[in-house]
Amino acid sequence: MEILRTEKLTKDFPGVRALDQVDFSLRKGEIHGIVGENGAGKSTLVKVLSGVHQPSGGEIYLENERIAFHSPRDAMSYIGVVHQERELVPSFTGIQNLFLGQEIAAQGFLKKTRMRQIAEEFAKRFELPVELDVPTNRLSSGKQELLTTLKVLFRDPPILIFDEPTASLSDQESKALFNLIRTLKERGVSILYISHHLPEVIALSDRITVLRNGKKVITEEACKLQEKDLIRFMIAKDLAEQYPKRELTVGTPVFQVEDVSFESFPHRNIRFHVCSGEIVGFAGLVGSGRTELAKAIFTGMPLKQGSISLLGKKFESKSPRDSIQQGMVMIPENRRAEGIVSSFSVGENLVLPSLSDLCPLGLRRTGAIQSLGSKIIQQLSIKVVSLNQKVTKLSGGNQQKVSLGKWLEKHATLWIFDEPTQGIDVETKSEIYTIIGNLASKGGGIWFISSDLRELAAICDRIYVMYDYAIVAEFQRPFDPEQILKAMHGGRGVENAK
Amino acid sequence: MAEEVWKMQNRIRLVGFFMRYGTILALLVLFVSFTFLVPGFIDPENLMNILRQIALLLIIAEGFTMVLIIGELDLSFANVASLASVLVAGLIIREIPFGIAILITLLVGAAFGLVNGLLVTKIGISSLITTLATGIIASGLVYLYTKGVSFYGNMPEGFLYLGRGEILGIPFLVLIMLVVLLSAHFLITRTVTGTYMQATGGNPVAAYLAGIPTASYKLLGLIICSTLAAFTGVLLTSRLGAANPEGASGFLMEGFAIVLLGQTVFTLGQTTPVGTFVGALIIGIINNGLTLLGAQYYVQDIVKGLIMILSVVISSLYSKRERG
Repeated sequence: MEILRTEKLTKDFPGVRALDQVDFSLRKGEIHGIVGENGAGKSTLVKVLSGVHQPSGGEIYLENERIAFHSPRDAMSYIGVVHQERELVPSFTGIQNLFLGQEIAAQGFLKKTRMRQIAEEFAKRFELPVELDVPTNRLSSGKQELLTTLKVLFRDPPILIFDEPTASLSDQESKALFNLIRTLKERGVSILYISHHLPEVIALSDRITVLRNGKKVITEEACKLQEKDLIRFMIAKDLAEQYPKRELTVGTPVFQVEDVSFESFPHRNIRFHVCSGEIVGFAGLVGSGRTELAKAIFTGMPLKQGSISLLGKKFESKSPRDSIQQGMVMIPENRRAEGIVSSFSVGENLVLPSLSDLCPLGLRRTGAIQSLGSKIIQQLSIKVVSLNQKVTKLSGGNQQKVSLGKWLEKHATLWIFDEPTQGIDVETKSEIYTIIGNLASKGGGIWFISSDLRELAAICDRIYVMYDYAIVAEFQRPFDPEQILKAMHGGRGVENAK
Repeated sequence: MAEEVWKMQNRIRLVGFFMRYGTILALLVLFVSFTFLVPGFIDPENLMNILRQIALLLIIAEGFTMVLIIGELDLSFANVASLASVLVAGLIIREIPFGIAILITLLVGAAFGLVNGLLVTKIGISSLITTLATGIIASGLVYLYTKGVSFYGNMPEGFLYLGRGEILGIPFLVLIMLVVLLSAHFLITRTVTGTYMQATGGNPVAAYLAGIPTASYKLLGLIICSTLAAFTGVLLTSRLGAANPEGASGFLMEGFAIVLLGQTVFTLGQTTPVGTFVGALIIGIINNGLTLLGAQYYVQDIVKGLIMILSVVISSLYSKRERG
């Protein structure tokens, strides 16, 4: 009664094995939950199953027949995927979006009444509270999500994949979605349900598969599992092995945030500190407000209340420029979009923030520029052909080193790293840990945001956990990953570990 | 054997060079063919003529080049030039000393750039819409000021010298053009300001997060453009000894054409002052050569369009090959 089965399914990306010989099966009419940490291989599995990526090895069987999807289009009528990203035309109404590409028409004229009838019946059948008549950009993000789901259902695929569907839904909308999923199951649709919210997965699923590091850990009946079992399966035991050791020399607090809220961000009463020589981790799910907090402070968003101090002085900033002058720098998450200027060479990127200091008269001093560039390249062992090489020709890891290296000359007090090792090969990763460690031992304070719990637990001295735009917990060494993961998922009762 | 390989490599390199610099190739081909086809084309006098013919266009286009470098657009520059042209004429005819008249006109131009820049950076309106609107306003002001008639009148010799004078046989206009070209090139390639302007256009978010006040550089680029446009209007009036309400409107399309052509000269899509100069030379040579050949103006337009398409196609073929 298996509708979908994989055998030794493997997917390699340069430097990373994202899926490692996964044997997985989906029964007809079942809801199958998939859980795992970030980077465990959940989204890769979805992408391979739905034809976005081609497997590097192994087989996929659909109703015992071996198949290969070459594109999402191939897979569409068998496997529908409800993504986090909504594929809607914002200015179109719900009806127009539902029929996009398969409009009903006669002699080139749209049959609007007919389409409206069909769409309305369809929405009623699944009892989804969505307005179909208004442009979709006027709907809440939750409603848009439901509409996207409706659009996928429209093609009537026998298998449906939900990838983090409740991330932007209100409680009421989530309930509507769960009802929809149960209705679909009764109609014999087979469902893969991927989510970070473990209680939700346990309540909804018939069976659950846990992935870790691209491998399948276990598939088990949901009724035999509890949240703490799942967390145990999700976390590897061999923490702190491939991470460089570092002598701890934590000094006095250099950065203090007292009871801060912003005018235009939903963060509530943020209070934390970073000491010199300390690496302070920020854990939290995507959407918990970690990145926004760092960006709000670095770009100088106006405060509604509270105060911030850096090196004992009041920190006041209206722009990144102000923040940098006071000794704060940030290496943003999305390096291609925010960390580097892709039309520039490696050298130009490396000297960008120091250029006006290097050239006090405003004229470019080629010699000074080149020697600074070469110095940083040497310090970070960035692999380049020459300073004039286009920065886009470098590997992701080396681009990250450029994004980071441009700050070396600024001798900052506080370094904000947002997901500094995302999408980077293992070797460069550990080099970056070493660089960050060195910055800390030179007396810098490090504010380290990451979704990788192993990484956080291995290199941080202290970890704050954010959930729903607030800091909900603080952990000291030795870390208990299970407790951290619980706090990340909004588990209450985790008190300040101090 | 080794020699043959070497020869082959050289040939490949040569082909690569011309593919890469397809626009420069087009310029050379044009130049050489006109030299053989058109009697009198190669005469020093005629070559100087070409430079004089492109001078105004290049000056205004260097301003537009700055706007593209900071990653915005300006649709108002031609109308600002028309406004400047009639304004300076009107002021001079009212016997205001021409130095002061020019200064006032340049300040009006700069004010347009300032308004454009503030609307774009402070309010966040797209530069396309902003400059379309301010361009229409400039055009309205022209008609408000002129009631639709051209301005003739006695203009002082000193003022007319700007557009008509010569130094050692070189037209003063050409000298001004060279000064503008070299200043623009120097600004972009040799100064910190130029680098920050390029960073602002290349990736505004990364530049902002690197501590660069990107809004100021956008403002600067738009002000340079409008001021140079006003300057072009002044020079136009000086050259013609008169001003008419639509005098500079042709600069919009031609300015766009040579700047876009200029984007194909070095790295496809990268706007540079020297690239814009190459674009202006190509357009200037086509206009001049075909006129000498006795071709009608519409033939010239068709040829210009074809040359533009051709050089973009060659350059993009090359850059595709390089990427693949």
